[in-house]
Amino acid sequence: MRAVCSLSLVLMILVILPTVNLAFGAEVGEYLDRRVEIWNLFFRMMVVAFTIGAVVSGTMIWLVIRFRESNPKATPTKYEGTGELDRYE
Amino acid sequence: MVLELHKPRPIWVIMFSTHHTDIGLLYMITSIAFLFLGGTLALAIRAELFFPGAQIIADSMTFNRMFTVHGTTLIFLFILPFAAGVGNYLVPIMVRYKDMAYPKLNAIAFWMIPPAAALVWLGFADFTWYAYPPYSVISAPAPAADMWIFGLKILGVSSVLGAINFIVTILKCKHPDLPLSKLPLFVWSIFTSSLIILVAIPTFAAALLMLLTDRLGVSGFFNPAVGGDPIAYQHLFWFTFHPEVYVLVIPAIGMMYEIIPRFSRKPIFSHSSGVIAFVLLAIVSFASWAHHMYATGMTFTVKTVFMIGTLAAVPASAMHVFNFLATMWGGRIKFTAPMKWSVGGIALFFAAGAGGVVNSAMPLDFITHDTYWVVGHFHLFVMGTIAFGSIAFFYYLFPYITGRMYNEKLADIHFYLSFVGAVMVFFTQHVLGLYGMPRRVFDYPAIPEWIVMNQIATVGAMIMGASMAIFLYNMIYSSAKGKPANMDDPWGLGGKYYYPYQRKNPRH
Repeated sequence: MRAVCSLSLVLMILVILPTVNLAFGAEVGEYLDRRVEIWNLFFRMMVVAFTIGAVVSGTMIWLVIRFRESNPKATPTKYEGTGELDRYE
Repeated sequence: MVLELHKPRPIWVIMFSTHHTDIGLLYMITSIAFLFLGGTLALAIRAELFFPGAQIIADSMTFNRMFTVHGTTLIFLFILPFAAGVGNYLVPIMVRYKDMAYPKLNAIAFWMIPPAAALVWLGFADFTWYAYPPYSVISAPAPAADMWIFGLKILGVSSVLGAINFIVTILKCKHPDLPLSKLPLFVWSIFTSSLIILVAIPTFAAALLMLLTDRLGVSGFFNPAVGGDPIAYQHLFWFTFHPEVYVLVIPAIGMMYEIIPRFSRKPIFSHSSGVIAFVLLAIVSFASWAHHMYATGMTFTVKTVFMIGTLAAVPASAMHVFNFLATMWGGRIKFTAPMKWSVGGIALFFAAGAGGVVNSAMPLDFITHDTYWVVGHFHLFVMGTIAFGSIAFFYYLFPYITGRMYNEKLADIHFYLSFVGAVMVFFTQHVLGLYGMPRRVFDYPAIPEWIVMNQIATVGAMIMGASMAIFLYNMIYSSAKGKPANMDDPWGLGGKYYYPYQRKNPRH
């Protein structure tokens, strides 16, 4: 739970707050160099997206290799043969 | 279905049956046929864009007609009917009822699809599947545009009838001993997507009527020449069709929820988080429609609201992905075709979602608006996620339907070629968008980067096309001459499961 809150906080600081600031800044007529702001936001969001993407994709690739049936380390799960996997009408 | 194997029946008995497995079968076969038809148009479109200048399509009007019918076919005649077909096949079994709540209404909902498809294909309209005014009101040639409008109207009614049937079946016909919280996640996916349909579709139904009366000249809702507002149509359209994105994707996720625990030989990691994520997605799907319209002149404050509404879908989507990964963790995973397609679908779902988050930031949207980035993004969703999930489930149901096993090697080739092809086409289209290439163009200037990337995308599309030809051959050959399947456990996974083939086929 703590990790989720921390991650949300980081995302908020990185992405949402600057964008809201940008939006309201434009409405009151302040000077904005939009090109700079946009690419700034783009790079920040790409860093977030690629970091999370790399972690999730890496985890998925590892899962596929480690827990495939043909892996030498593969063992029956604790649910097999216990009837817990049975789902029928 | 296996009933045919043990007790063959004439085709018209299946066609005029009101039994849920028969109608499910009709839905699935029809939708797969339209997958091939719509896919063929996609190959022609990609072939045309291989080089700048006209290649194989005579003119831009024909090109416009082709991508209009391509989009309409694959969204309304492949993805939606496929989900309805699988739902018909399995939902009554999973809620332990003899059939759908209203079997005849169910048959009517299916039989509305062929005439609607005929209207779309015989008309061959040219105003994209959005049908944005003012072009669709003022200039789109009749009768094609009017036929498209009537076709979509019929498909909308069919969807609503199907949704009502699913909701009543799930809420009122489920076994009394089966609480809602214990329903399989696939049933939950059909339930939530049916609720979205009921809320979302009427708005588009109204918009279509207004569009038609505008075209007939008896009203001017969207016609700027008589004081109408074309942007109003966009609001009505996207109020329906952003939630519709979730109507498309939620059943595909539900199908993956059936496959992944089964092939990981583990129960689902968290049933309740899957339910919560479906419900959350259904709610937030209505909070983000205007992110398609950042370029239409809304205030920054409104855009910010819709940007945050869009980002609200991220946690729910991530819950599904993490649920899948946690289910696979510690499992003993059998990588046959259904599992490969599901895992491939999850990987592309995540990639599509990450691109969507970046795209939902409204300042960035101005850069990518109406470019190939958008084409790459939503195709990664509809093909990479939804079609992958649907094909996974098609392989999964194949032995139950036919009583025979498909050829696993051909299924492997199908998967690997499709996955590589999807990455080549849709990832490249993202980059092409960042390089500024506009979408929906018949021709483009001979900019070297554009040419190379278009060629990579076209080669990827051809690879996918070849893989789909292998799929077609595998399905036809295996359904006639494949090895007889062990019907209680076709993949040797252990455990008992839902056995559609054991259902009797009562007369109605």
